[in-house]
Amino acid sequence: MSANISNRSFRPYTGEKARITRAYDYLILVLALFLFIGSFHLHFALTVGDWDFWVDWKDRQWWPLVTPLMGITFPAAVQYVLWNKFRLPMGATLCVAALLIGTWITRVFAYHYWNFFPINMVLPATMLPGALVLDFILMLSNSLTITAIFGGAAFALLFYPSNWPIFGMFHVPVEQGNGQVTVADLFGFQYIRTGMPEYLRIIERGTLRTYGQYATPLSAFCSALLCTLMYTLWWYIGKWFSTTRYLNRI
Amino acid sequence: MKTILAKTLMAFCLISSVYVMDVRTVMAHGEKALEPFIRMRTIQWYDVHWSKQAFNVNEEISVSGKFHVAEDWPIGVPKPEASFLNISTPGPVLIRTERYLNGKPWTNSVALEPGGDYDFKVVLKGRLPGRYHIHPFFNLKDAGQVMGPGVWLDIAGDASDFSNSAKIINGEMIDMESYGFANGVLWHAFWGILATAWLLWWVRRPLFISRYRMLEAGMEDELITPQDKLIAKSAMVVVPVMVLAFNAMANNDLPNTIPLQASLDQILPLPAKVNAGIINVDTLKAEYRVAERAMKFDLKIDNQSNAPIHIGEFSTANVYFLNKDLPVAHQDLSGSSTVSVEGMSLDNNDAIKPGEQRTLTMIVKDGLWESEKLDGLIRDADSRIGGLLFLYDLTGKRYISSITAAVIPKFN
Repeated sequence: MSANISNRSFRPYTGEKARITRAYDYLILVLALFLFIGSFHLHFALTVGDWDFWVDWKDRQWWPLVTPLMGITFPAAVQYVLWNKFRLPMGATLCVAALLIGTWITRVFAYHYWNFFPINMVLPATMLPGALVLDFILMLSNSLTITAIFGGAAFALLFYPSNWPIFGMFHVPVEQGNGQVTVADLFGFQYIRTGMPEYLRIIERGTLRTYGQYATPLSAFCSALLCTLMYTLWWYIGKWFSTTRYLNRI
Repeated sequence: MKTILAKTLMAFCLISSVYVMDVRTVMAHGEKALEPFIRMRTIQWYDVHWSKQAFNVNEEISVSGKFHVAEDWPIGVPKPEASFLNISTPGPVLIRTERYLNGKPWTNSVALEPGGDYDFKVVLKGRLPGRYHIHPFFNLKDAGQVMGPGVWLDIAGDASDFSNSAKIINGEMIDMESYGFANGVLWHAFWGILATAWLLWWVRRPLFISRYRMLEAGMEDELITPQDKLIAKSAMVVVPVMVLAFNAMANNDLPNTIPLQASLDQILPLPAKVNAGIINVDTLKAEYRVAERAMKFDLKIDNQSNAPIHIGEFSTANVYFLNKDLPVAHQDLSGSSTVSVEGMSLDNNDAIKPGEQRTLTMIVKDGLWESEKLDGLIRDADSRIGGLLFLYDLTGKRYISSITAAVIPKFN
């Protein structure tokens, strides 16, 4: 990091200047919050989509693979900006918190009040524990490599266990039509979705069959590997598309 | 000033006109949007019946009926290897409590066999009061939605009276409308509070300009204090430990969970009801006369039954053309708005005797070809027509043939 201003000549702002910079902080923070609520929420809805919308899409294999992989994107880019330019280790937490605010607003107003789905059928997942750990690792390591490997992995590995206390109870079996389904499946059957036939769900499809019922840990580790790569990619996207040149004029 | 007043007045009038005019809610759901050859030659519905069309919240009704899966399945449409009988509703204003195919309970998707005959029943329960236009329809994987006949349903009562309980496998009753919601909110709130605390820890200090200047001045060490590091180190251990501990607690509380279920239901077709081999109908030629809105068929009919028969009805894509001269009843079409009562004419309306083979001309003519957007068939890539021909003997016994032919358009 090059030092444009020498340490000795640095004078902290005081008085009116300090007040204005603080007001600027809040202005940027509020704008950033709205920006991330909108943009990250849109990105997440277009990529993770149904896996996060519906309780009967949250399977053991694809949900823990896809969600962290698409969820680590914006946090990585924003971490680059907030850490490298301001030494603020809160990029991931800020992004995921903004995502959750947007998601909850949508679920309550669009899905529940507008389209009549019970709110428990469209509960969002949380990635906050993984985001917190991602911020901690970046702050303590000050290293892209270490954060990508250990932070990215932690972000993926913590996803399923942090959500199981929320969604585990939807996996209790129910007898329906001479067969067994989960409570989540029953939601999908009972609460009619015109554009969501059952066969569209991607439930444990694929060749991950040789490890018995241990699909989740394998998916989580696969996601961890991919998250390290995705983190690095989006870190550089943050680097390429961010600038602080306007601050240099202040 | 005058201009501003005039513009304001105009804007007010424009907005008011929306309320003054009789603006009605659009209730269509794309039932005519699918290309005609798909609507005519995939799922061929008949005998669809609703047990009630006016009922209360919490009251159960059913829709039942039959369908034939066309033998002449379009080459451009994937075969129905995963199909789901759905109900077109504006959201879950009804819930689906039971569904049967050929008398068997049916929860997931199913593979249908072209040429197969099926009957179905769906039990629904009123959830939100209102007046809704509802169809049974098939979601066909990679093909689209093939609508069955639609009706208007009136649900009365109070939405707050709705209840939906389910018995989980340990015998406990749960309320589907609220199950797991409070628990979910609790966990989101818990992690949300931790995240907010971490954000506030940093937001309480001067942020962007001050930190940028200090970083540029090489004062990095003052931006991250030993206390910050201590908190981060502790939290980096505590957060994963909490996640794993809560996960273990949830596992302990829920020892008998199962993964989401997604098998394909296996239900075979019924013994043949359409093209059952007693009355054989061969379509020699089909011609659509654009100006007359009339489809002309040359049919060769072979009556192998032991009774004289008449052609009574032709149906395609939920449009019904009836032979008004038929002395016996047609299928129950009450409530259907797409019936052409006098739409069918035959060049020879005499009964086809047992053992007789007859070639005749049938014309089905009505504006419904246009209003139901079926006349677009002549501009489809696969311009073959398909439909069900209903023949009756004098006792009312019914024989059904699924007929199909390439259509030749006549523009003049």
